[in-house]
Amino acid sequence: MTIRILVVDDHPVVRQGLKTLLEGRSGWEVIGEASDGAEAVEKARNLNPDVMVLDVTMPRMNGLEACRVLRRQSPQLEILFVTQHDSPQMMREALDAGARGYVVKSNAARDLLAAVEAVSQHRIFTALNGRDIAGLH
Amino acid sequence: MKLRILLADDHEIVRRGLRALLEKHEGWEVCGEASDGREAMEKALQLKPDVVIVDIGMPNLNGLDTTRQLLQHDPHFKVIVLTITDSDQVIREALDAGARGFVLKSDAARDLVSAVEALQNKRMFFTPRVNDLVLAGFLEKGHTVSRNEAPKLPTLTAREREITQLLAEGNSSKEVACLLNLSTKTVETHRSNIMRKLSFHSIRDLVVYAIKNNLIQIELPPPPPPKSPAGPTAA
Repeated sequence: MTIRILVVDDHPVVRQGLKTLLEGRSGWEVIGEASDGAEAVEKARNLNPDVMVLDVTMPRMNGLEACRVLRRQSPQLEILFVTQHDSPQMMREALDAGARGYVVKSNAARDLLAAVEAVSQHRIFTALNGRDIAGLH
Repeated sequence: MKLRILLADDHEIVRRGLRALLEKHEGWEVCGEASDGREAMEKALQLKPDVVIVDIGMPNLNGLDTTRQLLQHDPHFKVIVLTITDSDQVIREALDAGARGFVLKSDAARDLVSAVEALQNKRMFFTPRVNDLVLAGFLEKGHTVSRNEAPKLPTLTAREREITQLLAEGNSSKEVACLLNLSTKTVETHRSNIMRKLSFHSIRDLVVYAIKNNLIQIELPPPPPPKSPAGPTAA
């Protein structure tokens, strides 16, 4: 199954790591990258990805703000947060902002591929450290 | 013979990105990876890499203490520290710990290869922003570097610093004892000494101290959005 992915994180090294992981899956393509929320919104408009992998804490426009804008601008786009914030509260904010997925960066190598697959099929995927939040799937 | 590099960062995603960056360079090889400072120590002593790249903000043993301990063990180790923060204090501590390179994570894609090349050629490397900050700081204060200038980090011993970090990370005394192969009583004694030396009354004081002194690094969450009459509902 082909999935076109936009990777958004303010650290190029993190984007490279995510890209390496994602492009290991046959048919998945990282079609673009962005380093802040504003650039993410612009590139989503131009490139029309299926899934956006999005960091929370970024300059210019953070991931939560970008997510809210994207929900209005690109309703077909599914958003997966990959973030340092291992917090149920932050995760709920992310889902309230319109994201479909939320994984913690420290477990990204373990959870990312399953998360992208799930959100691309419009299923919710959430995983905090050591626990999955029941009732959200 | 290939230049052998050990990578230490608690995020596998970051290690993958760093590996992809470094292995594009012909003649370089990532010989090992570690996800915390203790594992970094173990692997460095076992693999004897030419260069060690350590993230400052690692659990169990942070990057600065890893650097200090590695160099105490063998001063020939060449260490580059990676950090998300660029405060004067962090820079000073990295230098005092003996790091030969200092790179901001946000600039790593641009600067890390140059840093490793510098160390390979027996030079030091500090990312341009660091150089600017250090120079600006010296010009403002009007003083020159003094080797006798003590770091801000006070009177804790190396072991006390380790225990401070582990406690600030949320480990109980029993868990700290297990991690460090000590008895719980010994850890409790260290804990009391730490609290007394720093005049702390609660674990919260300890956590604040650990953050301020870069024993742990945190990324702050974004500010809450301004209130609006009707927000979007969950998908």
